[in-house]
Amino acid sequence: QSLEDCPLDEDEDAFQGLGEEDEDIDQFNDDTFGAGAVDDDWQEAHERLAELEDKPVANREQDGAGGEDSDLLGEPEDTLAERLTRLVIDSELEDPAIMQAVQTKVPTQQPGGLNSSIWDSSAVLRRIRGPLLTQEMPSVSVLDYALPQRPPQSREEERDPSERALPRRSSSPVIGSPPVRAVPIGTPPKQAAAPNFNQQILCPKPVHIRATMPQRYPAPYGERMSPNQLCNVPNSSLLGHPFPHSVSPVLTHLQRAQLLGGAQLSSLPCQAGRMSPSQFARVSGLVGSPLPSVNPKLLQGRVGQMMSPASGFRAFFGGPAAPSQPQHPPGPASHLQSLRPQAQMFRPDTTHLHPQHRRLLHQRQQQSRNQHRSLNGSVGDRGGHRSGQQERKDPYANLMLQREKDWVSKIQMMQLQSTDPYLDDYYYQNYFQKLEKLAAAEEVHGDGPKKERTKLITPQVAKLEHTYKPVQFEGSLGKLTVSSVNNPRKMIDAVVTSRSEDDETKEKQVRDKRRQTLVTIEKTYSLLLDVEDYERRYLLSLEGERPALMGERKQKICDMYDNLRGKAPGQDRPSDDHFMQIMCIRKGKRLVARILPFLSPEQAADVLMATARNLPFLIKKDAQDEVLPCLLRPFSHVLYHLPLGTVTSLVQQLTNLPQSATASAPTNLHLTAVLQNKFGLSLLYLVLSRGEELQSLDANTELMQDNQWTELMLMATRELLRIPQAALAKPVSTPSNLISLFSRYVDQQKLNLLETKL
Amino acid sequence: LVPMAEPRTSVLCPTEKHLVLLRDGRTLIGYLRSIDQFANLVLHQTVERIHVGKKYGDIPRGIFVVRGENVVLLGEIDLEKESDTPLQQVSIEEILEEQRVEQQAKQESEKLKMQALKERGLSVPRADTLDEY
Repeated sequence: QSLEDCPLDEDEDAFQGLGEEDEDIDQFNDDTFGAGAVDDDWQEAHERLAELEDKPVANREQDGAGGEDSDLLGEPEDTLAERLTRLVIDSELEDPAIMQAVQTKVPTQQPGGLNSSIWDSSAVLRRIRGPLLTQEMPSVSVLDYALPQRPPQSREEERDPSERALPRRSSSPVIGSPPVRAVPIGTPPKQAAAPNFNQQILCPKPVHIRATMPQRYPAPYGERMSPNQLCNVPNSSLLGHPFPHSVSPVLTHLQRAQLLGGAQLSSLPCQAGRMSPSQFARVSGLVGSPLPSVNPKLLQGRVGQMMSPASGFRAFFGGPAAPSQPQHPPGPASHLQSLRPQAQMFRPDTTHLHPQHRRLLHQRQQQSRNQHRSLNGSVGDRGGHRSGQQERKDPYANLMLQREKDWVSKIQMMQLQSTDPYLDDYYYQNYFQKLEKLAAAEEVHGDGPKKERTKLITPQVAKLEHTYKPVQFEGSLGKLTVSSVNNPRKMIDAVVTSRSEDDETKEKQVRDKRRQTLVTIEKTYSLLLDVEDYERRYLLSLEGERPALMGERKQKICDMYDNLRGKAPGQDRPSDDHFMQIMCIRKGKRLVARILPFLSPEQAADVLMATARNLPFLIKKDAQDEVLPCLLRPFSHVLYHLPLGTVTSLVQQLTNLPQSATASAPTNLHLTAVLQNKFGLSLLYLVLSRGEELQSLDANTELMQDNQWTELMLMATRELLRIPQAALAKPVSTPSNLISLFSRYVDQQKLNLLETKL
Repeated sequence: LVPMAEPRTSVLCPTEKHLVLLRDGRTLIGYLRSIDQFANLVLHQTVERIHVGKKYGDIPRGIFVVRGENVVLLGEIDLEKESDTPLQQVSIEEILEEQRVEQQAKQESEKLKMQALKERGLSVPRADTLDEY
């Protein structure tokens, strides 16, 4: 039936009918309609709960009196978890993803009826929730929360005030829900507000807490009243009540939160694996707390909490745990002293923000602080330059709780966890290294203002080896494969099979060969990257490991060389074929250029020779890419170390001189090709220059006796003279000693000619 | 990886409006009420701002819940500088009209371009329509 069809009269009947139905069901549900629902005396209930909390977890189920406070939602889960843990043989599931799902409880946890909220990860905050529901409701507004003024001592383990609990069955909104016992908003706090607190709220974002309250209507509204409702509630902040409301709540909240935080954190030493928004809210909100008594506990607890048992997850908020500890006590203490008479500076923990962000935030705080000072104590104004009119009237502000925000940023920060920042964030690391070097260089010159170049401190996680062991269950046959985020299941079984060579056509073979070459290049590239990385690793490693590292490195270099030249079985590398294949591919050339510095002189010379030998071919292939010049620099480095004999043969290779007797043809194609190509010509010049160097160094020795060289030079110069200038390519650089080289072999006239050509 | 800007200040201070750019090119301005790790947003008192040349027009939209994958960027609006703009605000009808005119002109030029290319025997494959603006 549509709504229109049901006139109002019928509604009552319908409801009654429903009621009847429900009564049938009701009887079985104690919590909704039985003892659990009726909540006469909160004090009694609270005492009950206080007892409960002292008992160990195992007894929790026996506490029938727990009534509404026993976690109906949680209980079944707990038993299941218990059962599971008993079942599972190897309960040391290393997979955090699985661990969380299984929701194993930690025996050190205090019992107590606990609601799990959607924001919390499973088991951690179980202990806290219960008494909340039984208390008088704090005055509620969307903006402010005035908490009931109870003696703080009993508040210790009570609650996570910023919980937004899922509606509990015992407080079904329709029938049988406990009466709303919200303290009217206008109730003045029982405790006088601390006189010292000139409640200027400097930070535009006080940490908000809210107490759970019995449901009037189902989530998602939860305990929050919609602004419409608030309008009806007397004295709600919507109607523009000024700050007296905000005064005490903040104070009490802080006190409360600290106590809570202190107690909470200290009792949960190692639960970091399940960080939740509420935890973070507490932690972050409490850094600036001025109450000294709680601090040590708080920090301890906080730090302890931060340590995850499995991974060495260092403090979320930057830096190792130890250093952060000593920093904080002076901070709040000094706050305490200096700020007591003045407004309290509430500084949330911002270490994990990007430094620029942090700066902006603090600037804003400064601004608003100045504003407030000038405004002379109008506390209701928070933040901003506006007079706060909008804020006061904006009921939609702060819809996200602090802990929720923290939760979101925690997730973001989790993404930044990295075991190897160089691997995960190479560019960022390099960029900042460069900046730091620049800054260091600048600082050397003068004492300029040190620019803030602080990096965002990302959490450092120790690398852990997780070997996956399949979970075994008692009494089951075989092993269950539990796949999770960290251990994904294999979806496809793809196996590489090499096909037989016979049936293929020529084209396929060619293609395969090219593919092989590409694969070789890729493999060699990985080796190269590894080798290049060794330096850094060497610096980071311990003394004992270093020889091993060096050995590895050498091995890899050898492998690279083998890859390049092709492992010829037995023979002494007669064919350049493999190398040529690599050199025909652009990436191959770049690869060779990068590898050259790592090779031994002989190996490098070998590469050089091979290149020179086949230069025309390479030149032809490089016509499109024009990548050969990248090889010039490494080649020149290699040349620097070459002895004369090698240089001679190099020249020979390059120029293809002397030509065979039969080929008396005027054209030396090889040389021509070389000379007409930028790379070729430059290489030739380099080689010649090297020869000249050697010659000038050691005039007496081999060179003079080396006819070969002389002959080569003569021929080379002859060729150079012959070639028309236009045909000569433009070299990358013309070494200066070429002239002196040629001067030995040619007369002045020809020398001048050569000079013009160069 | 850089964490997204923390919603600390702004989500608390309702005086700070946010500007969201969506993948389809829309610009939304509103008070950011909620955000999550996927960048799903809840915007309050949202206004869709259409820019054409030097003019812009605001269409009030109410509450927006934006799915995170469609967000390109999100930023705070500095309210002091907000009034400091060379742009001129016009009425909704006017801006819509301007937009229509602009779209038309674009389509025409696009058509001409395609034709010219076709005549020359070239063809430019159409860009993926999803992120077109």
